[in-house]
Amino acid sequence: MARFNTQRWTGLAAALLMCGTAAACANAAASAGGSGGAGVGSGSGGTVTIGESTTLSGSIASLGQTGLQGVQLAAADIDAKGGLLGKQIKVVSADDAATPATGVSNVRTMLDADHAVAIFGPVASSVASAEEQVTNAQRIPIFMHTSNDIGLTTTTYSKYVFQDVPNTVMEPRAAADYLATQLHGKNVSIATFAPNYSFGQDTVAGFVQALKAENVHYTLVKQEFPPLGATDISSYLAAIESAQPDYVFNAQFGGDLVAFTKQAESYGLFAKTKVIAMYDYSVLQSLGSAAPTGAIGFDRAPYWTDENSTMSAFVSEFRAKYGDAPSEWAILGYAAVQQWAWGVQHANSFSGDAVSAALSGATPPTILGSRQIRACDHQTELPEYVGTVSAQAASSSDSTHLWDTPAFEAQFDQIDYSCAQMTALQK
Amino acid sequence: MTVLEEKIPPAAARPAPRPAARVLPLLAGAAVLALLAAAPYLVTVSAILSLEQVAAFAVFAVAANLLIGQAGLVSFGQGVFFGLGAYTVTLGWEHAGLSFWEGFALAPVLGAAAAALIGLVALRARTLYFALITLAFSQLFYQLVEQNTGFTGGANGVFAPVVPAWMESPVDGYLTLLGIAVAALLVLWWLYRSDFGLLLRASRENRARVQALGTSVYRLHLLAFTVSGAFCSLAGAMFVVYNQGSNAELFDWTTSGQAVLMSVIGGMYTFAGPIVGAFVYQFGHDWLVRYVSDWQLVLGGVLLLVVILRPDGLAGAIRRPGRLSLSSRLNLPSRPRGRR
Amino acid sequence: MNTFVTETVSILTNAAMLFVVAAGLTLVFGALRLINMAHGSLFMVGALTVASLASGLTGGWGFAVALIAAVGLCAALGAGIEISILRRLHDREPLAQLLATFALVLVAADLAQRVWGTSDRTVATPVAGRFGVGGAVVPEYDLVVIGIAAAVALGLWLLLTRTATGWRVRAAVEDPETLSVGGTNLALLRTSVFALGAGLAGLAGAAIAPLESVGPGLDTQIIVAAFIVTVVGGLGSVVGAALGAVVIATVEGLGTLWVPSYASSAGYLVMILVLAVRPWGLFGTPDR
Repeated sequence: MARFNTQRWTGLAAALLMCGTAAACANAAASAGGSGGAGVGSGSGGTVTIGESTTLSGSIASLGQTGLQGVQLAAADIDAKGGLLGKQIKVVSADDAATPATGVSNVRTMLDADHAVAIFGPVASSVASAEEQVTNAQRIPIFMHTSNDIGLTTTTYSKYVFQDVPNTVMEPRAAADYLATQLHGKNVSIATFAPNYSFGQDTVAGFVQALKAENVHYTLVKQEFPPLGATDISSYLAAIESAQPDYVFNAQFGGDLVAFTKQAESYGLFAKTKVIAMYDYSVLQSLGSAAPTGAIGFDRAPYWTDENSTMSAFVSEFRAKYGDAPSEWAILGYAAVQQWAWGVQHANSFSGDAVSAALSGATPPTILGSRQIRACDHQTELPEYVGTVSAQAASSSDSTHLWDTPAFEAQFDQIDYSCAQMTALQK
Repeated sequence: MTVLEEKIPPAAARPAPRPAARVLPLLAGAAVLALLAAAPYLVTVSAILSLEQVAAFAVFAVAANLLIGQAGLVSFGQGVFFGLGAYTVTLGWEHAGLSFWEGFALAPVLGAAAAALIGLVALRARTLYFALITLAFSQLFYQLVEQNTGFTGGANGVFAPVVPAWMESPVDGYLTLLGIAVAALLVLWWLYRSDFGLLLRASRENRARVQALGTSVYRLHLLAFTVSGAFCSLAGAMFVVYNQGSNAELFDWTTSGQAVLMSVIGGMYTFAGPIVGAFVYQFGHDWLVRYVSDWQLVLGGVLLLVVILRPDGLAGAIRRPGRLSLSSRLNLPSRPRGRR
Repeated sequence: MNTFVTETVSILTNAAMLFVVAAGLTLVFGALRLINMAHGSLFMVGALTVASLASGLTGGWGFAVALIAAVGLCAALGAGIEISILRRLHDREPLAQLLATFALVLVAADLAQRVWGTSDRTVATPVAGRFGVGGAVVPEYDLVVIGIAAAVALGLWLLLTRTATGWRVRAAVEDPETLSVGGTNLALLRTSVFALGAGLAGLAGAAIAPLESVGPGLDTQIIVAAFIVTVVGGLGSVVGAALGAVVIATVEGLGTLWVPSYASSAGYLVMILVLAVRPWGLFGTPDR
């Protein structure tokens, strides 16, 4: 290798130059295309852009996709009523493949090239933390409507962050509260089953702590932490079986919970034990007639427990457009856009500072009702719902088993950290 | 005279390289460098930020290619060192109070140490088994980091203001990373041109011959593995500036696979091929994901075409313009062939 | 005693599924010298096909029909992939082939999402009963899965040792050059083996579908486990795949009982350990 190949090096330099020019041109073109008509709060007509980078491929794709559908529907509904401050809302979206670096790239492009004025959150909490760094630095509001790790409103929090999903502290507390109302001081044996990562571990820890706080008499007979996405959990199930608990608290969600239910059913677990898990619409829909009757489910926004007319109208509209009832992610996504739009209306501006200030402590009306956005951590004060899986299908055309009504509503102030506790964590 | 001395004529008998042949590549390199340094005045902010990513990945890909293309050791485990470098910076800041630069300096050291240990085990396996054992290491580290939430932050990763404030400015961050990348690549280039590099490439062509010359190929490869690990960790530390933190996926086989992809797309038989590959892959991937909803389909299709039609990658194709896939059919000696 | 019975059955079920997946992967490697990363994608297609069909066809026989359809579809897809893409790469270095199959993983993931959507599906368990052994519970379907794996093992053994084609496949694993000199149509053999491997992947996916949630992400979940088992057993050896499956399933099963927090890393540790001691797997041949 003592001699340089002239051709090779000239060619290489040329290639780099070409790539560089091409990339620069592409970026210049993209930014030129997006720069027209996105003036902040000035004049009427034109469009304003909001962005959602979320997971649209892989095992959590359905959470991202339904959440995006909720956001898109909300924007379309606002446009149908004349838009926001005279402008039509355009939604740009991209797949982050559950990778923080890709989420960061997407959000940066949306802010720089598309001039997005608000960002709506992803599925994975790690991606959300990374995106928060970008939106905080650029003073753009970000609305989390799927990822719900408590770190998002504490360690990486800023005044531009909004969270309308009940967080990782609230859900297990709600489940424990429900259990307390059912037991009336009886002594029970409990086993826990959670995916082996921070969400699972935090949820289980929260549940056990809440049981203690509620003075429930329990014995913890088994704790299992299978890896996230494990295909065969029969050994874990066998271990739970042998401990013969009265209740099993399961912190799995989505596909993992479906697999658990199928395999647990083959062991006859549901006949001997009451399982408490996140039996939401997507999971119940996947299970169909194999849904575990009598199991206890908790959900962040089950549409069927809310009888108010705005929710029913939304459900029919969603069904008409997408062919399915809305999942909780779609509902929370829709509500998040409603909150943002309300903030824009009241601030009469699209600027991040103005909108964030307008929303802090406010009570915007959404399909989830009029809920206050708490000033200390911008958490929407939503209840968490707990209910039992019904023995009957929802209707003759839909084989999904929903919950028996009425469902138990764990009130926000009973289950979330107080403002004092949140502010202490935000330091 | 040994077999080797018979084949290579003594220095005096070899024709001297033409002056132009020596100057032109340096000029081309300087021109590219000048262009990159001037980029903040030429392209948009998001392009500058993407270039930050490219700077880190260019070092990652070239370091990985030291094994893949140069030594013929296809490793699917370089993500281990990339993740290690990134986590050294973030965890050093979070748990040990290290500043960004202290963590940054520590990263290659830890990377080298880990690589030496892993290499001792992994290099006992050959070719495909080596690739798979490195993949196993990659996944093992990913699992361990993802589950150990107390220390490593688990699946949430560690996202914190570890990067110094002045580097948050896209231009300053980019130029700093560009400088570091150039320095690292110059060291790797020096290695490439040295006797060590020559011996490494020789061992790829014919392991038994090199062994017969008296060199322990195992030790040669272990050294290469250690150097590669050190520079992959450096790249990981650089990546924190773009990523704003570190996450467990940096360890897994998809990150390791990215290094392989960049090397192959750019051309793994040249030094600068992986740099081109990093550039093309990163801009291409980011653009695709943002603007094309079926990005996986397009990315897969492009990769397939590259593998089938352009076996030497982009830089290699430039080396031999117009000869599409003939090189694979004509059994040209510059491409290593045969069972390895 | 209870725990012993339940553990054994669950380990055997896990081993059964791993064996069927790994057998296909190892055969393809043996005869084609190709690591097929798209093997997991074929597994996913098998599961998704059964999920689509089984809702229409009810009962045990309905499931059997759906299973056969899934296997047929995957075998056909495998043949198609081999003829159109892999044939062009068969004399290239392993890295090129590996990257081509990786590209196929991306393409398959996208197409599967287009065809079947993103939401998870389930398949009604065809044999839903369970029975007690002492105090332990044994699900009947687990025995069906173990039975399928045993049938596959028997079938492969008969194929490879008693039929002419089987001898040719084994010869292709040992010495392809001499085989082609003897007049065998190597191209046809390669396509057939790849189709067989693909069919086995589809069978594994279809068989395990009633116990899983079927949706995107299934491909990447299974492929790493398949690699571990195949490598531990030794690339190219079906016996190795069986032994590897039992070893990995046992280690994971016992791991969840005794050291639960590290059970998920157990597979990787075993693989590294085996390769450190015997760098070509338990039944692999040293020169590959």
